[in-house]
Amino acid sequence: MSTSSKKETARRRIAAKREAEAAQRAAEQRRRRTILGGSIAAAVVVIAVVVAIVVQTARTSTAADAAVPSGTVADGNGYTFAVGPDDAPVTVDLYEDYQCPNCRDFEDAAGSTLEDLVTAGTVRIVYHGMAFLDSSRNDDYSTRALNAAAVVASTSGTDVLERFHDLLYANQPDEATGSGLTDDQLISYAEQAGASAEAVESGIRDQVYGGWVERATDQASKDGVTGTPTVFVDGTTLTDLSADGLSAAVAAATS
Amino acid sequence: MRSDEVRPWLALAARLLLGGVLVVAGALKVPDPAAAVRAVRAYRLLPEGLVGPVAFGLPALEVVVGLALLAGVLVRASAVAAAVLMVVFLVGIGSAWARGLQIDCGCFGGGGQVDAGQTAYPAEVARDTALLLVALALARWPHSRLALAHRLEPATP
Repeated sequence: MSTSSKKETARRRIAAKREAEAAQRAAEQRRRRTILGGSIAAAVVVIAVVVAIVVQTARTSTAADAAVPSGTVADGNGYTFAVGPDDAPVTVDLYEDYQCPNCRDFEDAAGSTLEDLVTAGTVRIVYHGMAFLDSSRNDDYSTRALNAAAVVASTSGTDVLERFHDLLYANQPDEATGSGLTDDQLISYAEQAGASAEAVESGIRDQVYGGWVERATDQASKDGVTGTPTVFVDGTTLTDLSADGLSAAVAAATS
Repeated sequence: MRSDEVRPWLALAARLLLGGVLVVAGALKVPDPAAAVRAVRAYRLLPEGLVGPVAFGLPALEVVVGLALLAGVLVRASAVAAAVLMVVFLVGIGSAWARGLQIDCGCFGGGGQVDAGQTAYPAEVARDTALLLVALALARWPHSRLALAHRLEPATP
């Protein structure tokens, strides 16, 4: 074998070795880049999730000293008002949002039947307020209406609340196109229901029970209520929301 | 056109679809955190202590994964993450359906409250299944056009 071909073989061997080393370095570099990219991505995900949880938790927490209306009853952890005799044989739990059109339909269909049953001493109504239909178009009407109801009940008692409740459903603005009742209208309906305008005005305008309204809505969700109206007759869900359905359920509960 | 020329464009379409849906779905849950909590609670799957973190953390996860897909970084990992998210959503919706709960999936904000008879479980399941298949295909063939990752590092063979 000649010297030149030996040299040629050695050179090739060296070149191959260098190539292999370069490939190894490149692979190492890619590996490092993948680890770096993965670590950055994991950090971004963790930071985004933690920040979101912290910020949103702060946004949903209501002040510990949020004002609470007087006259609430123990049913529903204090986020309720009751109408009717305490010793009535049947309790009807009503979960409603003042902006909810199906609630108005229920009130139109069965509201007077329910009130007759209260007058007869058969039924005690427990009102659970919910406010989840706020929008910028209705100027957060669900919250303003439930706050106003709490102000009316707190200052003027639950008989006035019941009339105010009926007036708000009778005059409910359209959910899709309406802009909610104004604070002035809420005050005037409160007056019509029997409250004094001076007593309710500042509470309605300042949404004095705004934090309580948020908690009441949250409580309804904790109660497992996922839609309005939800009606329980002695704890059993009322499926037929007509006057006859209600009468039958109450009759069944008393028998 | 050969299939290896078409495939990167299909992968781009998959990225935009999946990323767009995830970003929109996540972002819509941000403005009303109380509603997000109610939507998660309505599934009745989680203990109360986990409801808040899931209601707030899941949308953030959706947005991050969605943005990664739109930008085209870590496409395979993001596609796998998107597929995992879809499986989680499908399990949630499927179990709510099976238990006869009357809820809206809350997939694009809102959620929780729904009138009886207004549930949309078949459509929700069909949509998430379709997105799951897109995510799996993207995880299998992640190489796509207009991906930011290509500009950050030299193309690897």
